[in-house]
Amino acid sequence: MTRTAKRVKINAQGTLRSLMRDYFLNLDAAASDPDRLVAWCTSVGPCEILTAFGYEVYFPENHGALLGARKISHECIPAAVGVGYCAESCSYMTSDIGAALSGVSPLTEAYGISGPPRPDLLAYSTNQCREVQDWWHFFGRRHDAKVLGICPPTHVGEVTDAHVAFVRHELQELINHIEGHLGRKMDYARLEQAVSLSSRASSLWRCVLDTARTRPSPMTFFDGLIHMAPVILMRGSQDAIDYYNLLLDEMNGRVSGGIGAIPDERFRIYWDGMPVWPKVREMSEKFFDLGVAVSASTYCNSWAFEDYAGGDPLEWMARTSTEIFINRSETFKQQFLIEMCEAFQIDGIIFHNARTCPNNTNSRFGMAQRLRDETGMPVLVFDGDLSDVRFFSTAQTMTNMEAFVEQLEGRLR
Amino acid sequence: MSEALYVGVDVGSSATKCVILDSAGSLVGHDVVSSGFKYIDAIERVVSGALDQAGGSREDMAACVSTGYGRKHVPFSSRVVTEITAHARGTRAWDPEVRIIIDIGGQDTKIIRIDGSGQLVDYRMNAKCAAGTGTFLESIAVKLGMVLSDLDALARKSSTPTVVNSYCTVFAGTEVIERIKEGQNPEDIAMGLFRSIATRIKEMIPSRDGSVGATGGVVEHCPAMVVALEESLKCEVRLAPMPQHAGAYGAALLALESCRETGSEVDHASAG
Ligand code: SF4
Repeated sequence: MTRTAKRVKINAQGTLRSLMRDYFLNLDAAASDPDRLVAWCTSVGPCEILTAFGYEVYFPENHGALLGARKISHECIPAAVGVGYCAESCSYMTSDIGAALSGVSPLTEAYGISGPPRPDLLAYSTNQCREVQDWWHFFGRRHDAKVLGICPPTHVGEVTDAHVAFVRHELQELINHIEGHLGRKMDYARLEQAVSLSSRASSLWRCVLDTARTRPSPMTFFDGLIHMAPVILMRGSQDAIDYYNLLLDEMNGRVSGGIGAIPDERFRIYWDGMPVWPKVREMSEKFFDLGVAVSASTYCNSWAFEDYAGGDPLEWMARTSTEIFINRSETFKQQFLIEMCEAFQIDGIIFHNARTCPNNTNSRFGMAQRLRDETGMPVLVFDGDLSDVRFFSTAQTMTNMEAFVEQLEGRLR
Repeated sequence: MSEALYVGVDVGSSATKCVILDSAGSLVGHDVVSSGFKYIDAIERVVSGALDQAGGSREDMAACVSTGYGRKHVPFSSRVVTEITAHARGTRAWDPEVRIIIDIGGQDTKIIRIDGSGQLVDYRMNAKCAAGTGTFLESIAVKLGMVLSDLDALARKSSTPTVVNSYCTVFAGTEVIERIKEGQNPEDIAMGLFRSIATRIKEMIPSRDGSVGATGGVVEHCPAMVVALEESLKCEVRLAPMPQHAGAYGAALLALESCRETGSEVDHASAG
């Protein structure tokens, strides 16, 4: 079925485009200015500390996603495999390493810059996965730059004060190392400001996502994939806050006008796991044609942190970096998914079993079956990957998606 | 116009099948052709073949439902459904007691669970690779200089099947060569291959709460596959009456129902 209905464009997108351009051009300028500093950071890593030290912060995972979205990952990955990185390990990592080895970057075509900015420092948190540690070390060696990281406790059920104290201690150690590296002290007032800005951007992002609780959803997971860029890349800046205020106004306008991202929305789906970046457009069109709103996702919610209400900024950072979904126990995750499905009036759940990211895949330990039993909702698991299309079959996946919608239709009869 | 005919076309990756029903739901025509490179040619040929058998013409087609890998390529289709829905519908008609359908096709293997009312409960497809599909068997048969039916005939003589561990077609091929070199019986190796598919399928069945049925070209042409499935699942595996046509049959039933629901005799521009 191909529907004749037209998509409603999100107007804020124009602003986003220029924000992104400014962000990358600024990074590029900083990298070639001897008086400015660039740090690389994991997407849910300690970026506020880096910002407070005066670093311009770049996020390699975004580059990994761009390589996937521009459909060039699979051309880059062999170069990384050639130097010993397993083809079945994180394809963000292998495509990013391969791109560097091949001298390729989507930033060149998009912004006219040579590629990622040269780092002075690389900082990571293994709260999402241990892969980032090895990925960062590759580039640390390549650029002869310092690599520092924290390793919060993982698979946490309830986050206790002991967890937070431990991670806070790690963050303090990280600060001490950076102070030693730069030969100057951390400005804690600046850190507090960065945390406060981060938290405001993050809570506005959550409000944006929460507009999709209404029927019809004013936005979908696929819109979220585009509009989440500022909460990752520009966290800690006023720009991100201004942007989300703008986007929130637009989404609230849609809610009050009853405007859905999918005209005549028939079903609402929850997406768990990573997107399939090289196939985002095809999948988005498929769901559009099927009249299905992918109303909520684990992925887009990964950057919706707790609010910062003042006080010790390191404690807020410690708590948020331990509380993130990816870092939690199966029991916590299951409960979270159930609550999300209720809040977003979900009709069915899709799990993406991403071949090279077990960390962001939640269907490998019986979760899909348990959710099916507990909620009575149809649940689909499909095999794919975040970036490496060699692990993805378009025909098979599209059949899976269509059959899933037929199953939902059957339940209405 | 003579009697209205209800057409189901299943455009698979290897074979294209067609089933035609009359308004009483009786099967009056069927055909199967190789899908080849051009789906449209296969579709034209298979529908013509089935219409000839039914003694009808394009003008008699009251409705057509298409399914299968190339389902979107049927120009005169009035409705397009996935193989999963087509099999679920077909199975309810050929054996209402079946709750789990194993469909082994050329390109993929599907496990479809339905409830007592024929409602789709759950389904799974094999991961993106040839393991557990007809292609797996065919490519190893070619490697051994045989066709699939030879491999099946050989397997049926096996008394002590060899264990083939690998899921990957290439590695399984290597494993077969190793077993041959070790001097193991060709018939036991052949059965080992069917067993390896059955093991893969068993992994895709989370629980069994009813009868198990099998469809698809592999079970139609290879009785050894059914034996391997029964041994692996430790239960009877019921075969669809025309296993390879089961998807097309389900599609034809849906075509018939669509006309009954709308009350129309002809709900499309026939003969595309
Ligand atoms: S979470 Fe997954 S995709 Fe992200 S860096 Fe780690 S392994 Fe790669």
